[in-house]
Formats: sequence, structure tokens, C-alpha cells
Amino acid sequence: MVKYTIRRFFEMILTLFLIATATFFLLEAVPGDPLTERANKLPVETRAQLYERYGLDRPMMERYVTQMVNMAQGDFGESFVYAGQTVEGLLHDRLPVSARLGIQQMLLGVTVGLGLGILAATKRGRLPDYLVVGLSVLLISIPHFVLGLLLQKVFAGELRIFPSIGWPSGSQLWFGGWQYTVLPTLTGCFTYVATYSRLLKSSMLDVVNQDYVLTAESKGLSRAQVVRRHILRNSFIPVMTQLPMSVAMCITGSFFIESIFAIPGIGQYFVTSVNNQDLSIVLGLTVFLSLIYIVVLFITDILYALVDPRISMPGSESR
Amino acid sequence: MAESPTILKVRDLRVSYHTYAGEVKAVRGVSFDVERGRAIAIVGESGCGKSVTAKAIMGLIKGPQGEIKQGSEILYNGENILDYTSKQWQAYRGDDCAIIFQDALAALNPTMRVGKQIMENLIAHRHMSKDEARAEAIEMLRRVGIPEPEKRFKQYPHQFSGGMRQRVMIAIAFACDPDLLICDEPTTALDVTIQSQILDIIKDLQREHNTSVIMITHDLGVVANIAQTIAVMYSGVIVERGTSEDIFYRARHPYTWALIESVPRLDLKNKQELASIPGMPPDLLNPPVGCPFSTRCKYCMAICKEKMPAFTDFGNGHTAACWLHHPMAPKVDMPDHDSPTTVAPATGAAPAATDGAPTEKEVSR
Repeated sequence: MVKYTIRRFFEMILTLFLIATATFFLLEAVPGDPLTERANKLPVETRAQLYERYGLDRPMMERYVTQMVNMAQGDFGESFVYAGQTVEGLLHDRLPVSARLGIQQMLLGVTVGLGLGILAATKRGRLPDYLVVGLSVLLISIPHFVLGLLLQKVFAGELRIFPSIGWPSGSQLWFGGWQYTVLPTLTGCFTYVATYSRLLKSSMLDVVNQDYVLTAESKGLSRAQVVRRHILRNSFIPVMTQLPMSVAMCITGSFFIESIFAIPGIGQYFVTSVNNQDLSIVLGLTVFLSLIYIVVLFITDILYALVDPRISMPGSESR
Repeated sequence: MAESPTILKVRDLRVSYHTYAGEVKAVRGVSFDVERGRAIAIVGESGCGKSVTAKAIMGLIKGPQGEIKQGSEILYNGENILDYTSKQWQAYRGDDCAIIFQDALAALNPTMRVGKQIMENLIAHRHMSKDEARAEAIEMLRRVGIPEPEKRFKQYPHQFSGGMRQRVMIAIAFACDPDLLICDEPTTALDVTIQSQILDIIKDLQREHNTSVIMITHDLGVVANIAQTIAVMYSGVIVERGTSEDIFYRARHPYTWALIESVPRLDLKNKQELASIPGMPPDLLNPPVGCPFSTRCKYCMAICKEKMPAFTDFGNGHTAACWLHHPMAPKVDMPDHDSPTTVAPATGAAPAATDGAPTEKEVSR
């Protein structure tokens, strides 16, 4: 287990290095540079000064090496576009906002989704099943910006139950200011509802046909006992392994939802900085988000072993 | 309730599966009795409906695909279990009647500790506390010959070998001391040496608990030592039934002959090719009008393809459904294994279906 963790750690470093390198050169391959827009209006000397300040006058390979060395030391550099804006500052100010939104969406969406999945599987071929399936297809096909605007129009514009834009900050960053979070949470949660209801339903229908469910029934257990003890646990294996990916996805924020509801989250900023070719910010955020995904994949592997005793971690004793 | 010698009566059991291709008539009118404390074997090749029969007795035929036809009866101690409510089914399953499936790896819950899977039974029917159930489950593991039962109790099915897993299945089945045990090909997935051990365990426990057994298998070699009665099934119907001596030494149905011939034998002097039955069983989407075996039968006559033969009674409960036993049919005997004599196909002398269908004593089928 220890050996395995160490190996995974080095693989992780290598992966991060490759991702950073790829991102760097891809951004370099795009015509123009982060300062083009700002510098165009400036006199030639000031322009040269500006390029020197951000080190953009150096050759590409030199800048690549400098950037990598700095990042290895934990210094992601400053924004090319907004003076004084750093990756660390962004993560500190904006990540919690996106994370709260994502976590709320996920908690609500996954809970409702799993409930509907169980309902659809146990009432298979009957009305509740068709309702759940139809609803998931409908909700997953409506883009976030349509659903978001629609909710905004109805609940904020006409009924005036919830504020149309804004997000709690300061002491209410994590708790409080709930009325602001309702509409964005609703907008995003249906993706999870649809994903998880379908995932659990198909997984349960697969498990229901397994022989061990027949064995459980032939023991004279009640339907509820069979579902709870034998079907659900085994059906949750694919769900458990999907969950960490959802967690990773949910804290990285959503561009559309954050834009519609004017939420100062990281998703919106990420997309903007790509448009601005804000190399250091894009690179920093990419590496950080990759790190989250890699850690989450590692957790997924451990979860596999926890929920399914047939899978043992390399190096741990199985018998 | 008065102890009648017959624990289970199956009468005209008909089970169909509704598939996209149409209605598959998996069991087409099966009747047999299970005597208390005795064992009956249902023998037949894959797809003949023997496992479906077993599932029907356990109440495991599920709608909307599976359907037990109106008029079918399964009488357990005189009560038709097909009329049971789900509460009655729960009380019956596991306590009165238990089943052992063929593939123990698939039949055990992979994410539940083996001990707990045995305890479930005891807690459901014996109303034991967790500790009592644990002690009893460990005792059951010991009784089925699993070494270090305390340690094994806490393990998962994948940590057991095939034979050990089947022992666990037996422990689950016998946990509540059922009156009726169904073994659905219990040894098919195992190698030969383990097979005999497993059969011995089942036999010992059966004798000890005076359990009635329905042994379902395609392997006549398996049933020889266990069952007092044998029913030979083919494409959803029983074609011959009798005591094991009758079936092994005085079989009357060509399908039974073919089955006996295809049992691998060690006592033959010259190396002989393993016998097999040519052809395929009929498609149960469209079962044949006449005898289902007629398409593969060496002795097929004209009438065989037109009318289902009635059972002919040979005394002592030995019956077979074959036109060869009609008074007008040519006399054929069971082929001798050691010197296979070819009996000329007797198509010419067949009684035609048109000249008056032979009236035979109708035995219920």
C-alpha cells in the first residue's frame, strides 16, 4: 500500500509536468500574446518596458524553463492582464464561491438522482419509471444558460421570490445568504439528477438479474431486505466510483451559471483568462485543477477497494 | 397437519417466458410427486425446462416475462403454493424449502461476508439474535466440512475455492433445516473429485434431517447414488419416470436410452468414442405437435410426428410416453452398451394416426 502510494505520487508529478508543458506550448501556439491588446495603444518604449516587466521579451524556451522552475517552487506568477492578480489570490477568493455552488448542486442533485434511480428501478416499466427517464432526458438536454435564464425570469423576474443575481460573500461565504444560492443551485443540479438516476437505475437492473438476488429471495427475505442488503450495495459500486469525479467537476465551477447569475466564481474567470491568453493564470489554474482530478482518481481507486471486497489494493493482503 | 407421505405434488405445471420472439413454452405440463425424506432426480439436457421447474417450486418465476399458466398446481403439504401471498412465500422460502444453485460464485453476494449470508436465513426464520445466529452459522460451516470456520465466517465468497463455495451454499440451504431441498445442478461447475464430496455432504445432511430432495441435473452419473426416483425431462415435458433401477436397467424411452448411452464409462475395453445424441432439442417457441423427441429419435414412426404419445404404465410407478409401447408398434429393446446393436428404424410398420388413435390408459401428464 505504501509502495503503491509512492508510485502513484511520482506518476502524479509526471502527469502534472506533462499537462503544464502541453498547456504552455498550446497557448504559445496561439497567435498574438497576452499584452497585444494593452500594448497596441502604447508608445514603442513603454511597450518594450511592459514586455520586459512580464518577461515576454525572452525567447520561448527560456520562458518555459523559468515558468516551470517557478511553478515547481509554488510560484505561479502574476496575471498578464490584471496587474497584481495572482493564481494564489484567485484560488483564495474565487474557488470557495465555485466550490459552495458546486457542492450544493451536487448534494441536492445526487440525493434526488439516487432516489429517483431507486424508484425507476423498482417500478420498472411502470409510470414512475417513464416519468423519471423522460424527466432526465428533458433536463439533461436543456442547456444551463436556457434553464438558468428561465428560472431567473420566473422566480426572480415575475414571482420575485429569489434575487436574480449575486452571491453571498464575507462571513456568509460558506453559510448564509441562501436565497442567492437557490436558483444557481437548481440550474446546475439537474445534470446530477439525470446522471445519477440513470446510473443507479441501470446498475440496479443489472444487479437484480444476478443469481445472488435469487439466492437472497430464496432465503425468504422480504423485498425490502433484498433490495437494501443485496441489490443496493452492489448497485452502488459504479455510483461510488463516479462520485469523486463529480466532486472534482463541481468545485471547478461552471462558466454559464456563474455568468448568468453574476457569481464571482472561478469557472467564469478561467474562461475569460483563456480568451485573454493570460498565460500564467491559465497555466496555474490548469495545473491546480489537474491536481484535483489526479488526487480524486487516486481516491476513486481506494474507494473501489472499499466498496468491492473483490478488488484489493496492490501490496495489501487479500487472503 | 396430517403427515402425508407425499410432501410435494406438482400437477400440470406449465411455465412460459414472453420474449420479443414470442412465447417460449419452457415447461409444458409437468407432473410429479416428491415423497417425504426421499430424493427425486429430474434429468435432461440444457434447456429442457428442469431449472424453470425448480424456480417455479421456489416461486422465483418473475413477471412480466415469466408466467405460470392457469391450471398449474404445486401442492406443498396439500396447499397450492402458487396461491401464496408474498408473506406466505417469505415464510415458505428458506424455511420449508431451500435451493442450491449451480454456480455458487454467482449465487453468493460478492460484497457480503459469507457468515452474514448464512446468518440472514437464521435471523429471518429462527428469530435468533445476532450472536446466536453467528454461532449457528459457524456450526453450519463446520458441518459442511469447511476448515477453520471462525476465520472463514468473516471472508468474502471470492476468497473461497469452487468446492468451498458450494459448501457455503449448502450451509445456507440447510441453515433452517428445510423439509424440501432443490439442488439445481449443484455439481456441474465443479471438477469430478469435488463433485462426489459435495454429493456426499448433501446425502449425509439429507439423511440426518430427513429432507426431501429434488435433484436437478443433466448428468445421470450424479443421480445414481442419490435419487430413488428419476424423471427424465425433454423439451418441457417428462418423457419417462420410474425408480432409479427401472430407469437405469429397464428404461423404456428412446431418449432415456440415448442419455444412458452418453454417460462416459470407464469400464469399456476398446476405446470407444463418447456417444452423443445427434441433432438439437426442438425450439420451444414452436414446440412440435407430436413427440418432441421425434426429430432426433432413431425409432421415429409416422405417428410420432403427429400425436403426442400417452404414458404407458409398466408397473411400480414406471411410466414412459412413447409410441413404441403401443401394441401395434414394432418391438424394440434398449440397446446394449457393450455391443451396440443397431435396431432398424421401424418406420414402415408404424401405426398411422388416421386409423383410430390408440386408446390407452391416460396417465395424467
